[in-house]
Amino acid sequence: MVVIWFPHLVTDRMLRRQPDLKDVAFVLSLTERGRRVVKAVNAIAQSKGINLNMVVADCKALFPDLQVFDFNPEESAKLLNALAEWCIRYTPFISLDAPDALILDASGCTHLWGGEEHYIKHIYNKFNSSGYHIRIAMADTIGAAWGVCRFGKNGSIVKSGFEMEALSLLPAAALRLEPTALDKLDKLGLKTVHSFITMPSTALRRRFGQNLLKRIAQALGSEMEIPDLVIPIVPYQERLPSLEPIRAAEGIEIAIKELLEMLCLRLQKESKGLRKCELICYRMDGVIIKKEIGTSKPSRNTLHLFKLFELKISEIEPDLGIELFVLEASIVEELNSSQDALWTISGGSEIAIAELLDRLAGKSGRQSIHRYLPAEHYWPERSFKDATSLVEKPSTEWRTNLPRPLHILPVPELIDVSVPLPDYPPLLFIYKNVIHNVKKADGPERIEQEWWIEQGQYRDYYCIEDEQGARYWLFRLGDYDSGTAKWFIHGFFA
Amino acid sequence: MKMNYTELQITTNFTFLRGGSHPEEMVEQALALGYTEIAITDYNTLAGIVRAYTATKGKNIRIIPACRLELLDGHSLLAYPTNKEAYARLSGLLSEGNLRAEKGECYLYKADVYRYAEGMQFILIPPASLNTTFDFEDNFIHSLKEYKQELGDALYLGAIRSYHANDNKKLFRLAQLSKEHQVPFVAMNDVHYHAPLRRELQDVLTCIREKCTIHNAGFKLYQNAERYLKQAEEMLRLFAQYPEAIENTKKIANACQFCLSELKYEYPEEITSEGRTPQEELIFLTWQGANEKFNNVIPEKVKASIAYELEFIERKNYAAYFLTVFDFVKFARGEGILCQGRGSAANSTVCYCLGITSVDPSKFNLLFSRFMSDARDEPPDIDVDFEHERREEVMQYIYQKYGRDRAAIVATVTQQHYKGAVRDVAKAMGLSMDAANSLSSSGWEFTEEWYEGKTISSSGFAAKDKHLLKVLDLTNQYIGFPRQLGQHTGGFIITRGRLSDLCPILNARMEDRTNIEWNKDDIESLGFLKVDVLALGMLTCIRKAFDVCKAHYNLDLTLSNIPQDDAAVYEMICHADTVGVFQIESRAQMSMLPRLKPRCFYDLVIEVAIVRPGPIQGDMVHPYLRRRDGKEKVEFPSKELENILGRTLGVPLFQEQAMEIAIVAAGFTPAEADSLRRSMATFKAKGMVSDFQKKLVGGMMVKGYTEDFAKRVFRQLEGFGSYGFPESHAVSFALLVYVSSWLKCYYPDVFAAAILNSMPMGFYQPAQLISDARKHGVVVKAVDINYSNWDNTLEEKEGKYFVLRLGFRQVQGVCEDDMQILMALRDSRYKIQDSRQEKPNLRIGQLVDAGVTLAALEKLADADCFRSIGLDRRKALWEISALSDHAQGLFAGQLPDTSSEQQITLPEMQLFEHVIEDYRSTTLSLKAHPMSFARGKLKQLKVSTTHELSKCENGLSVRVAGLVLVRQRPGTASGICFITIEDETGTSNLVVFKNLFQQYRKEIVHCRMLMVEGKVQKEGEVIHIVVKKCYDLSGLLLPIGNSEARASEDQSINYMSSAPSVKKVAQTVQQDIFYGGRNFR
Repeated sequence: MVVIWFPHLVTDRMLRRQPDLKDVAFVLSLTERGRRVVKAVNAIAQSKGINLNMVVADCKALFPDLQVFDFNPEESAKLLNALAEWCIRYTPFISLDAPDALILDASGCTHLWGGEEHYIKHIYNKFNSSGYHIRIAMADTIGAAWGVCRFGKNGSIVKSGFEMEALSLLPAAALRLEPTALDKLDKLGLKTVHSFITMPSTALRRRFGQNLLKRIAQALGSEMEIPDLVIPIVPYQERLPSLEPIRAAEGIEIAIKELLEMLCLRLQKESKGLRKCELICYRMDGVIIKKEIGTSKPSRNTLHLFKLFELKISEIEPDLGIELFVLEASIVEELNSSQDALWTISGGSEIAIAELLDRLAGKSGRQSIHRYLPAEHYWPERSFKDATSLVEKPSTEWRTNLPRPLHILPVPELIDVSVPLPDYPPLLFIYKNVIHNVKKADGPERIEQEWWIEQGQYRDYYCIEDEQGARYWLFRLGDYDSGTAKWFIHGFFA
Repeated sequence: MKMNYTELQITTNFTFLRGGSHPEEMVEQALALGYTEIAITDYNTLAGIVRAYTATKGKNIRIIPACRLELLDGHSLLAYPTNKEAYARLSGLLSEGNLRAEKGECYLYKADVYRYAEGMQFILIPPASLNTTFDFEDNFIHSLKEYKQELGDALYLGAIRSYHANDNKKLFRLAQLSKEHQVPFVAMNDVHYHAPLRRELQDVLTCIREKCTIHNAGFKLYQNAERYLKQAEEMLRLFAQYPEAIENTKKIANACQFCLSELKYEYPEEITSEGRTPQEELIFLTWQGANEKFNNVIPEKVKASIAYELEFIERKNYAAYFLTVFDFVKFARGEGILCQGRGSAANSTVCYCLGITSVDPSKFNLLFSRFMSDARDEPPDIDVDFEHERREEVMQYIYQKYGRDRAAIVATVTQQHYKGAVRDVAKAMGLSMDAANSLSSSGWEFTEEWYEGKTISSSGFAAKDKHLLKVLDLTNQYIGFPRQLGQHTGGFIITRGRLSDLCPILNARMEDRTNIEWNKDDIESLGFLKVDVLALGMLTCIRKAFDVCKAHYNLDLTLSNIPQDDAAVYEMICHADTVGVFQIESRAQMSMLPRLKPRCFYDLVIEVAIVRPGPIQGDMVHPYLRRRDGKEKVEFPSKELENILGRTLGVPLFQEQAMEIAIVAAGFTPAEADSLRRSMATFKAKGMVSDFQKKLVGGMMVKGYTEDFAKRVFRQLEGFGSYGFPESHAVSFALLVYVSSWLKCYYPDVFAAAILNSMPMGFYQPAQLISDARKHGVVVKAVDINYSNWDNTLEEKEGKYFVLRLGFRQVQGVCEDDMQILMALRDSRYKIQDSRQEKPNLRIGQLVDAGVTLAALEKLADADCFRSIGLDRRKALWEISALSDHAQGLFAGQLPDTSSEQQITLPEMQLFEHVIEDYRSTTLSLKAHPMSFARGKLKQLKVSTTHELSKCENGLSVRVAGLVLVRQRPGTASGICFITIEDETGTSNLVVFKNLFQQYRKEIVHCRMLMVEGKVQKEGEVIHIVVKKCYDLSGLLLPIGNSEARASEDQSINYMSSAPSVKKVAQTVQQDIFYGGRNFR
């Protein structure tokens, strides 16, 4: 068993991405119960006395130049997982020791690297050269490897049967004990493993509970410990090499259909649907052509997906011919094959609408399709927003208690009016050189600028009906007193 | 044009997080717009009306006290009482709603309103919008019908033009309803702020209330800024189609002629006996008390002053007030609760005779009239301090005697201060929590220079950011807003009739407490009287000391029978040997004592008052010291000031003196002088202060004083503003100073036990108090399961004093109940009288069976309390931890068989480790001082002990090291930091100048053991070290016991990197054990 511990897991990765932080002391922090708490420390910061779980404010008092970034626990978990998957080159049996260590079952693998020492050395050098601090140890049991990894000599290999010896001089914490037991051991002066490991088990159990005995047994190998293995996710990718280079559209069609069949079969099994999918064609002359499609809802409908690709086939220039097709779904979401569509008619049509929109978007571009949702703003221009997807639910109701026109101009247009003072509606207005005599009017509705977004004058809106019976939404900008008030048209009622 | 419109709906900022303007601002704006009357209608509260009323005083405007009733089961109503009785009913209605709800809530129902409705006018507030058929919802019309039926002609219908698109339709519908149901309708404007500019702040308040940010508040905000106090002409225009709506405002206003000045305060009746009037009763009690005090031989001088004071009290009709205070004091004395009055009236001979204070007024030359003159027409001021642990008894006595409907605590309106305000505003403006917090802590950095863009704050805020400037601007507007109604620390108001006739009562957050909605300024401006029932830790300590003296020394001590003017006590004080003594124990006080050398009671009065922001800011301290030492001639700026300044050698030290100077030398009226002092106290009236400054300095210069002196007097007044300390308070405090010094001087054992039993209080940690007691020859023994009680106790005499046995209360984390079980078991096992002789044999197992929890026993083991049965902390813990599976139920009493266990030897603990553990578990150690272990290394570093410093010469460069006890940066010391450190020989005081503090900030703020290099500065007995360099030596306190763990760490160092977790363990150990030091206050 090999235990690899990354004492600076997250910060090392940040350094890999931002090498200019190399000489900077920094920490990553997370808000816990209203306080910013340090969740990761880089080596420089640690050497300044900053440790995990300190409060950021205290650290700043200690070392004012400390840089603080946000800690993302999910990302750190992802990172460990990725490292685990990468380590599969060393052994197929890998498990996580969250949050910052890996356990490798190296049985039968080490000879491939020329023995245990080389194996360890190789792993160490590999990580070290890519910028990760690690501590590593090998032993027959996870427990012993864990303890030696954290508290012993870095890179140690504990020989079979020497677990007790290897652990005995290490602090009690090397046995993976809970804090209460460690605290008690510390108070009793039993600070190292050897000071208590030989005590009668009844005396130990009575005082420190069964867990201590279990941990000892696990470390010494008298109790088995089976970790959860990491099973990497295979990418949603299908490959189709062609015997002869393909040059005709029909050939490409067949290839796409076949690839989609294979991909959708897998998606079906895993109850998933794709949102984005890319077709990669490797041409004889080494040119790679990529075509991407997207869907409004997760989908594994081969027919529909093919229709989307079909629009792109003409854009593929086969030239000397294509020798390999790869289809990869880059975004995959859950899609349960549920039966609830049996009774809800809209549910079925929603898919139809989504598929229609996908096709429209494929033809004329996504930007030509709009869906509006209400936004909680009084200022008319901001009272609605573009929806990002078909299924996005409105965060608020459309306002119905006040008159709002069906059609609103993106920018209000200046009009000439004849209007009595003080705040009466206009008698007539001229819009696009047409004179409209006002027959009926209602208002004013005063809307102030949203001062935190923009400064400016308020608007007094009026609903106006002209002699044709057409209705308009007009407003006066600012106070009638000022004498400079301007009038605008902003919308048309149905 | 005749004003026909009265604004009847005004929500002030006493409707928390809704109203955007102060009541005073509303009144001022109304006055400016030409209104002669406005109504204040806050939500379910009358808290703001006194402010508004006070603002109208002497001006051509009046307010109609009113309220918006938010009902749980109906539409909101505005209620306007037409006369005093109706006002009492409104107040009663709100009290009822308040008392049935949690603090801050008021539950009212329609039925309550009908019950209390008599004599009130009501306005029904219509909903903001109409339904899809452009009509009001049915339930509103329903409510209208029901209200009409119940309230009859008193009901009106409100109409608001809020510039929504449907205003015309709404008004039309309202007019219809009004006609149909015979309910006249009234124009109003739902005023939320006095001027449109406040809309932004009101929006932010909405966000704070709704816990959202301005960016996602959406429709929770108002659409426009129309809710301001509009000109009457504008209102006439808006309601031009409905002139009757305007007329009706006048109708309601005319009907409501009630004014707050009609409220009359009356003292309770219970305070007199045998049918005497209050004055007769007071005369009777005073002479009775005088005869007791002076053994029937009352000196002529006393007789004269009693007669004078009684005459004065009669003239001002204050007898009932004195009797009320006397009533509390009498109760407290009956219960054996120590108390002491202070305040302007408390140092009168009458109060001395009544026993309200123990300060003998003949001891010093204070004239009663100085505090209470005819000219200064303010109610007498007596604050009574009680033991802090037993004050609640006094309060509950008051509630019980006068009833909850007649006695209540005055409110404190807590205001928004910069810190809270900026945090709330920043959050509402969408800044992150972090940004809000750092804004909140860097308020002092936003200076004029910052606004001009010359500096950038330490957290990187620059004046370029518009959003940030807006946040700060809104914050400045928000500062001073009332935040919540808290309860005053102890101000009671007691009335003859029902208190709710005067003001609504509400539940306080603490159980069994009720308070009123008005604060002390409010009730003062209405002429109500309050008595302060305050808590003082030192009184608890003194009473406990008296009890112990009675038990062990057979002394019957009271505050008044302690031998006075004892030279030995003053000698001790002169040497600043005052650890634990009331008031004069702080670093600043202690360094003043050897210079001031108090030799009589009045010197103590001065000592208490002189180390205060007022005299320090006014630069009065040094002139006084020079004159006292005879280095400077005592002279007076003028003849007229000789009277005022005579007793303080020509230097003004007390608040009263500064005020009298303003009156005598600058021509202030007494009322002006008083409002000057007040305006200093409230930062709100920023503009006024400079006016006063001009007037004071100008006035004094006209009269021939130097500008310098005048400015100093003003600065001193400014200092008093932040922490006023009048002579009358200093006198009462000085008595407690003397009493506690006397106890410490003669009975250090008693004093130490009493103060430890009254913790937390005062300036020092138990470790310092105990080491001080040991220095005075008291033998102190450790906590032990066989000898200790919960409290610290005295055992048999050893040497001059009794042995102080530490009690279980010193052990961290044990509760009294567990220890009571332990003590009960112990007492039942061997009789108390011979327990001290017999060899105790309490076994751990018995304790567990008796019901002492294992957690408690472990804590006791941590504190090393098992020594008397031969177990040190480790062995005890070993034994205890084996008991987790001890027999229960049927087999209780059967001890688990640990004897058969193989004997295990635990690693021996070194003394150093024991000391560390002692500190961890009890914050002190009797075994040794932690510094003594580092002494060897410190010697190598040429570090002197504190003791050696006293032999050093002035100006010598030295090194000292010690545990940090206190870090202080007083506002009066322009950035200088004072640090007190302690080693095994005593404490030393360090002075760190501003630039050095910046340089060594990390060491100073963070470390537990500090070594400094600096120059000795001696002034008589006072030694300071002016620091030149600082070093963090906390590492020397590392437990050596971790050597094994260290060995393994050392091994790993050779290869690649060291294991950080070992270091971490070591570091947390040293950080958590030692007291972090009192920080910057």
